[in-house]
Amino acid sequence: MTAVWFAALALLLAGPVPAALARARWTWQVPRAALVLWQSVALAAVLATLGAGLASLTLLFTEQPGFPFLARHGLLQTTLNGLTSFLVAVVTVRFWAVALLVGVRTRRRRNRHREMVDLLHRRESTGEVDRAVLGESGVRVLAGPGRAAYCVPGVRGNRVVLSDGVLQELTAQEVRAVLAHERAHLRARHDLVLEGFTALHAAFPRLVSSRSALDTVRLLVEMLADDAARRRAGSLPLARALVQLASAPGGDGEMAVGADAATRVRRLAQRPAGECGAGDRALPRRGLAVTVYAVAAVVLLAPTAAIALPWLLTSWDFLTR
Amino acid sequence: MALGELERDVMDRLWTAGRPLTVREVHEELATHRKIAYTTVMTVLDRLAKKKVVRQEREGRAFRYSPAATQEQMIAGLMLDALGGVSGQDDRQAALVHFVGGVSAAEAAALREALDAVTAAEAAGDTTGPT
Repeated sequence: MTAVWFAALALLLAGPVPAALARARWTWQVPRAALVLWQSVALAAVLATLGAGLASLTLLFTEQPGFPFLARHGLLQTTLNGLTSFLVAVVTVRFWAVALLVGVRTRRRRNRHREMVDLLHRRESTGEVDRAVLGESGVRVLAGPGRAAYCVPGVRGNRVVLSDGVLQELTAQEVRAVLAHERAHLRARHDLVLEGFTALHAAFPRLVSSRSALDTVRLLVEMLADDAARRRAGSLPLARALVQLASAPGGDGEMAVGADAATRVRRLAQRPAGECGAGDRALPRRGLAVTVYAVAAVVLLAPTAAIALPWLLTSWDFLTR
Repeated sequence: MALGELERDVMDRLWTAGRPLTVREVHEELATHRKIAYTTVMTVLDRLAKKKVVRQEREGRAFRYSPAATQEQMIAGLMLDALGGVSGQDDRQAALVHFVGGVSAAEAAALREALDAVTAAEAAGDTTGPT
């Protein structure tokens, strides 16, 4: 029975739960808590899958020596258990192999990119905004008309990269907002969260929820960095920078993440800049965050306690008998 | 850090030279501005060759080095890499984290509207204090 429970839980956590979570709008109020919940759901799904496999396997082998399982439960049940174990093994191996591959590729590309940025960035400052930006540690400016504003995470040294196109189009305040946003990504290691969900999507690209999970987590991470940036530089400069950089002139819009930009800007309008000062709105938001954290803990711990513990106890009982 | 600066200086020499240079020639150029060992220059050129940003060609007993591309070309390539020009790769990687993606013309209108809302909200909230 344990295997069935685990399998049902795994399917639930891999299908309807992330689908509902991806549709939810309340998550935008509490991006940090929502990200914790997403990670907890993903981890719980992985654990439940593993649990289903192990439980099926133990059923096959722990009853009695010889072929007692086949004799007692019949061919169908035995086949089902064997199949489940096999399927879980395939899924698990696939996930970890792809995760490893994604990790290696990501780091290789990042290292290469950082090396090239360090080799090619502009060192001479030409204006006042320029001097302030070039003076900041870890900030690199690329000459050229393109619009690039991004960060290169990594333990061997972070970089925030801006292109001349960006510096020319934004005011000093807006540049400050962009830098604060990217710094927030680097400080909180958002790249690790993104990497996990990227691996999940890369391993199971046809699973619809892995796609929407990645998209949603990306958006939440951006919102989290937006919140950090607005605290430092204000909502309006941040919103202006978003609009300016997202709406490129000419056919530059082939990247299909644009809907997120409007969502983020709209969100900046909804919440007042000094969020600590807004007592009437801060309180329910805090309550929501606490609830979400609690749910995240339950999602992760409850299955372990409810299913795994009894199963572990019986297994132990059998082994020590 | 210092090594990075040195790599940059060496690249600058190669870019301005306009012809393949030997280690000795690069060293002579650099040595006019600073104290630097011949072997250091050799190491740096070797590293740059490993990174495939300089080409190494044998001429007699010496190696000559030239940039793999012009500075402009390399920056353009880097920008292309940054902006996801290597299409289809980004979904399988999380290498770079961008500030914002591009949008279509229709979405740009929605974006402007959203900005107006922020401006209005900011104006209304101005009395609560500085941003």
